[in-house]
Amino acid sequence: MKEIVVISGKGGTGKTSITASFAVLGSVDVVVADCDVDAADMHLLMQPDYDFAEDFYSGEVAYIDQNNCISCGKCVDVCRFDAISVKNKLFVVDPISCEGCGYCARVCPTKTIVNKNRLAGKWYISNIKTGSIMVHARLGIGADNSGKLVAKVKNEAKEIAMEGRKGFILVDGSPGIGCPVVSSLSGANFVVLVTEPSVSGLHDLKRVYELVKKINIKAGCIINKADVNPEKCAEIVQFLIENDIVHLTDLPYDENFTRAMVLGQTMVEYDHGILKELLTESWEKIKQLVIN
Amino acid sequence: MKIAFTSEGTSWDSLIDPRFGRTENIVLYNEESKELTSVDNSAVKNDAHGAGTATAQKIFELKPDVLITGNGPGENAAKALKHINMRIFVDAHNLTVQQAYNNFKSGNLKEV
Repeated sequence: MKEIVVISGKGGTGKTSITASFAVLGSVDVVVADCDVDAADMHLLMQPDYDFAEDFYSGEVAYIDQNNCISCGKCVDVCRFDAISVKNKLFVVDPISCEGCGYCARVCPTKTIVNKNRLAGKWYISNIKTGSIMVHARLGIGADNSGKLVAKVKNEAKEIAMEGRKGFILVDGSPGIGCPVVSSLSGANFVVLVTEPSVSGLHDLKRVYELVKKINIKAGCIINKADVNPEKCAEIVQFLIENDIVHLTDLPYDENFTRAMVLGQTMVEYDHGILKELLTESWEKIKQLVIN
Repeated sequence: MKIAFTSEGTSWDSLIDPRFGRTENIVLYNEESKELTSVDNSAVKNDAHGAGTATAQKIFELKPDVLITGNGPGENAAKALKHINMRIFVDAHNLTVQQAYNNFKSGNLKEV
């Protein structure tokens, strides 16, 4: 079982559209893990059935037991996040503002404030239209993605893949270079970098590749919308050569990307021309690189 | 020599955990006493953030001469670990602790 992670550094490069296409191409042999939990959207293309759901807790939030509150107001004085206010003569915590630091609980003279585990969202195991399984998650309002949640989603996908003797885990990675991305990457056998020929596309590609290099994972790159800026594209190709990154393919700008998305389809289902051909070739290439 | 492994289990047959920060366990082998011990890392695994540096702290306290892991520590953890005189070997995932140890002894692991 091999783990392939798709990341982009920059948003809007087509990472999820490309990942979803690979999921369709890989069909039943691929367990999908959507670790882009801040803006999870793989489910729009994969038609999940939310077969299994479980609450996910992360971080803490202050809780005031109204029965023992003496309305002294000390909690309001010390809260640096202005998370406690008085409503109808009762002291209440705004869970979105509360950072769970525990200062209020510490100063509360009647010990009526306690920190409780924060319900951050739900995670799911779904059957998807490819005939395979996807592990994904949905965060509540104001909750942030974390290395812990990404690790959870990935480990579940790994277990499912092992049990079902699947060939691949395909991970839609988190954006940026922070904690969730490190967690998306660790354990991977191959990373696909999706970029676009723009100043920020190249800048963020360099940034995220620093991280990939640091944790010793073989990488390949797909330049999406390659024809919209040939000069920038050449610059990216040069960067790939200098860093020994496999140049997987260039995808031309194509409005079929949007048309497919509107219909809830992946590119390889909607398009029957060059895009489908290039994506199929890339997927085959990635499989070869991962196995060797 | 004291060798630390990031591992999914606690024995010679356990697989190396490719993760550094969120590794399940840290397995320690003391070549002098031939003793294999382990430290449970599940508390760190359940931290929302900062797992890498927390595990680096643990390694720091255990003071091994060698660390064998999978992908290797990330930027922050690596920076912290530079302060102890320790060699780090990576790419040992998909191996058992025993296989990783053998590969280390025969010079077949990649050092960072």
